Amino acid sequence: MSLGLFIQLLVNALTIGSIYILMVLGLDIILRGTKILNFAHGQLYMLGAYVLFLFFQTLHLNFALSLVLSGASLALIGALSYLGIFAVLSRRFTVSTTFSYILLLSAMASVGLMMILQQGTLLVFGTQERGIQSPLPQIIDVFNVRISLMRLIIIFLSLLICICLYLLMYKTTFGKILRAVSYDPEAVTLQGINTSWVFVSCFALGSALAGLAGGIIAPLFSVTPSMGQNIIFMSFLVLLVGGIGSYRGTIAGGLLVGLLLSFGFQFMGGIAELFVFMLVIIILVFRPGGLLGEAAE
Amino acid sequence: MKLPNNGANHKTNRYKLLAIIIAVAALVVLPFCIESGYIKHLIIMACIGTILGMTFSMLYSAGLITLGAAAFYAVGAYTSTVLVMYAGLSFWVALPLTVMISAIMALGFGALFVRNAGVAFVIISLIFAQVIVIAIGQAEFLGGWGGIIGIPRPDSLGPVEFATKHDFYYLILAFLLLVVVVYTALYSSRIGRAWRAIKLSPNLAGTLGINAYRYRLLAYVIGSTTAAVAGCFYAHYFQNITPGAFSGWLSIYVQLYAVLGGLEFYILGPAIGAVIMTFVPEYLRVVKEIEPIITGILLLIIILFFPGGILGTIRNSANVSFEGFDARVKKIKASLTGKR
Repeated sequence: MSLGLFIQLLVNALTIGSIYILMVLGLDIILRGTKILNFAHGQLYMLGAYVLFLFFQTLHLNFALSLVLSGASLALIGALSYLGIFAVLSRRFTVSTTFSYILLLSAMASVGLMMILQQGTLLVFGTQERGIQSPLPQIIDVFNVRISLMRLIIIFLSLLICICLYLLMYKTTFGKILRAVSYDPEAVTLQGINTSWVFVSCFALGSALAGLAGGIIAPLFSVTPSMGQNIIFMSFLVLLVGGIGSYRGTIAGGLLVGLLLSFGFQFMGGIAELFVFMLVIIILVFRPGGLLGEAAE
Repeated sequence: MKLPNNGANHKTNRYKLLAIIIAVAALVVLPFCIESGYIKHLIIMACIGTILGMTFSMLYSAGLITLGAAAFYAVGAYTSTVLVMYAGLSFWVALPLTVMISAIMALGFGALFVRNAGVAFVIISLIFAQVIVIAIGQAEFLGGWGGIIGIPRPDSLGPVEFATKHDFYYLILAFLLLVVVVYTALYSSRIGRAWRAIKLSPNLAGTLGINAYRYRLLAYVIGSTTAAVAGCFYAHYFQNITPGAFSGWLSIYVQLYAVLGGLEFYILGPAIGAVIMTFVPEYLRVVKEIEPIITGILLLIIILFFPGGILGTIRNSANVSFEGFDARVKKIKASLTGKR
């Protein structure tokens, strides 16, 4: 393998890895904070890409501004769906409700949301692919390797978002409450904190991350209604590898799966996904809670 | 909550038995009342859906939420196809072999999967279903993504030749009734009670000497094997199979059956859910473009406002009216005795 190919594959791995990381951080925040296994996450990702398409391609706004707007609109959509569906649902759960019941009903509700969002988008935007003009079409040369600048920007932006998220979660009171709620909502309530808005903001934050992931990747791949369905399986896989409830694990898992997929597709072709799954199973044999997570129950 | 009466009330049991006999008789004569072949096909598909839904309910009764019902459905379909087409076995020999092979597979994979109960199991079962589909799609000798066509019908069994939908209907009905009998027996045995205890609280069940891991693994193996039987039937009924027919979204539909019918009803719930979910989208075909939206909204309405599913809602309202009736009778009796 030449150095050029290696660098190219590495950049590709980091690109898809960083998208997975953003997706899975969102999934994880929602899952830990509100106990919802969000099947609609892929559709939120797709919507993020479409919102970016609207602002950037149709309204000709600045790319950074469109990205922020797509994150913000997805946060709004997420908050509204939480208030409309999951808040109503969670009112029914009491202390004696079994965990599997809560998990199943919330997951099914998110499946309902997924169906509506998926088909709604299909009706509004149609089935055709939408290309987005790359805001940075330049190609740079590193050691005679041609790398699209956009990919580097994607990696950089994802890193930036991760750092912002870290500051939000670990350096602010808001983040402290968010993390506390994911451990024990009742204990947080006993501290005199109104938790109902925390759940909403958990869901909104997770949705915003999905939207940002979709928006960032949109210029690289074309925007299609099926992009959400394709990424959700891999996102779940990354969530498992990294360990549920471990942000560092998520980042490690995202990078690992990104690397495996990128190099796997180059050298093994279509069976790369199978190979990744086998590896995940082997990891789970030795570490049932994922790479850096703790085994629950 | 009402406790089950252990044969104490003979009258209720007799009514129950009568209801079961009438229901089975109705199912047996059903194909004679329907002329359209398409409706018959839908009924057969609803029966398959019911079996798959019941495997979901079985795992749910042990506190496991599976999204991988389609995985062993596909395994069963492909195993049986390979045994019949490549090894030249008869359907009736391939069926028990399929059951054995899928049980061994379920034991192997289940031993790894079931360790992580909770969210991890949900995800891994979904991914496993998807991976099975990808694996089949990549395998050349299984026909790849194009699938296998021309799978032979089951060999004739005496005078029954399996040439018409009637014969297939009776075959799937026999499977269905067998599954119902076995599952009912399991639910009312110690195993079923252990499952319910585990679902209620794994830790509490552990202190009572129930090995949650083993019982959950048992549920996984039984459920997967049942799904494989359904897949085996499907392959020989449809006579062609493609990996796409078993994609992960099928599993999500399967759990809809159970949620829609009523989660507390392990047998009847999936049956009613499967019938509704098979027929309603067919009639919504008229508005094909917004059909998933309507299905999604219906699903949300059921989950949000009818927590017990269809059967749960019926039972609750019936209970309320019965309780009201009982209370009125008591009041009248009390007033009568009081006057005396």
